[in-house]
Amino acid sequence: MPEPTSNGMQCNEFDALLADAIDGVLSGAQLDRFQAHARTCAACGPLLADAEAGRSWMKELSQIEPPVGLVESILASTTGIASDRLLSPVRPSQAQVSWLERSRAWLASTIDPFWATVRQPRFAMSFGMAFFTLSVALSVAGVKPTDLRQVSLRPSAIRRTYYSTHARVVRYYDNIRFVYELQARVRELKRDVSPVQPGSDKAPAKEKERKNDTTQEPEQKQERNYSQTENAVVLASAPLGPSVNDLPVVSVTTYRRLV
Amino acid sequence: MEDVQVVAMLVRRCISGDAAAWEEIVRTYNRRIYNICYRFAGSGDDAQDLTQEVFIKMYRTLSTYDSSKGAFSTWVTTITRNLLVDHFRKTKQDRLTDSIDSTASEHEDALPLSEQIQDQSAPPDAHVRSREVSQTVHSALGKLSPELREAVILRDLQDMDYREIAAVLKVPEGTVKSRINRGRAELARLLQRTYRQVM
Repeated sequence: MPEPTSNGMQCNEFDALLADAIDGVLSGAQLDRFQAHARTCAACGPLLADAEAGRSWMKELSQIEPPVGLVESILASTTGIASDRLLSPVRPSQAQVSWLERSRAWLASTIDPFWATVRQPRFAMSFGMAFFTLSVALSVAGVKPTDLRQVSLRPSAIRRTYYSTHARVVRYYDNIRFVYELQARVRELKRDVSPVQPGSDKAPAKEKERKNDTTQEPEQKQERNYSQTENAVVLASAPLGPSVNDLPVVSVTTYRRLV
Repeated sequence: MEDVQVVAMLVRRCISGDAAAWEEIVRTYNRRIYNICYRFAGSGDDAQDLTQEVFIKMYRTLSTYDSSKGAFSTWVTTITRNLLVDHFRKTKQDRLTDSIDSTASEHEDALPLSEQIQDQSAPPDAHVRSREVSQTVHSALGKLSPELREAVILRDLQDMDYREIAAVLKVPEGTVKSRINRGRAELARLLQRTYRQVM
């Protein structure tokens, strides 16, 4: 990096002023310092010369005329209307725009950005999906547009509507053939797969309890939870663990043939 | 210099569906856009396609123009510049590390830059000579990096002020000035090197 020169100007300051110096807007002491730095700095001096040369080279470049038919092809690709047709309307009358047209133009310029966003396919698709989902949900819930007139907004009525809707949805779900078939199948599978539980020796214990029962009441009356008794899985296996001792001892004699 | 009110009215008429207003915009700005595209892309065919794309984009997004945020010409130049940058990224033509002696474009009859300059002394016609110098500078401009090239084009060919260029390029004014300086200096060095080879 070049060192600052004796006039105190840094190279980065020179770089910042370079464009203005080439434009000829520097003056006074600032211009003197700039020129002094350009004379003494080994990097900035050639940079100034090159930048000035580059600018004069750029002046060699003139404006290019666009190809014939460019305007027509642009108009055809944008509005799709041939240029001759556009030129036919009388221009002066258009300069005097009525307040109605002006207000319409203002409205259009206000609404159009929003409308252009809404018209995009992804937004249209989202709105469509949202409408479809809402209409399906409402029809499943049993809501009809005609019913909305009689809707009561009292809290109790709203609560009642909520519970009845909830019950209707649950009933609808439970009544789906596929759902209850699936539930039945899962229940069957559970029953088949469930292993013998160590705690399954509760039956003999119950038997014991029953023996110790001194209430003398009929056995069935003490069983309050009927549904549980009905649903209890009946295990065919023999109890394990400490309750094995409770089983009657069976003596088996094996007759072995000695050869 | 564009009259802000007139342009704003023209844009409003365009948005409200006035096809004549749109034609007026196309006729006013097509030359400017074509020149930027031609100097940046380097080829006439590319410039024509890009100019058309710029106007299509303008036509679709005309309603987003806010006159309070800046001049319409700045908005148009910003659209042009963004499209040119996209085009550059797609083609990646400037990332090729070809030397200055390589073929520049179809406009120079497929001659290397040094040969074009060598031929420069031959034609007696001053007009032809001037055109060839112009083509040589155009070729050298195409060798600059896109960052430097766009800054130099907007300043030296479109006569835009630093503030407008900063708005178009979305960089600070200091950066704009620095890029213009480096671009001009780089252009001069490229052309000096070419001349030395010819001598």
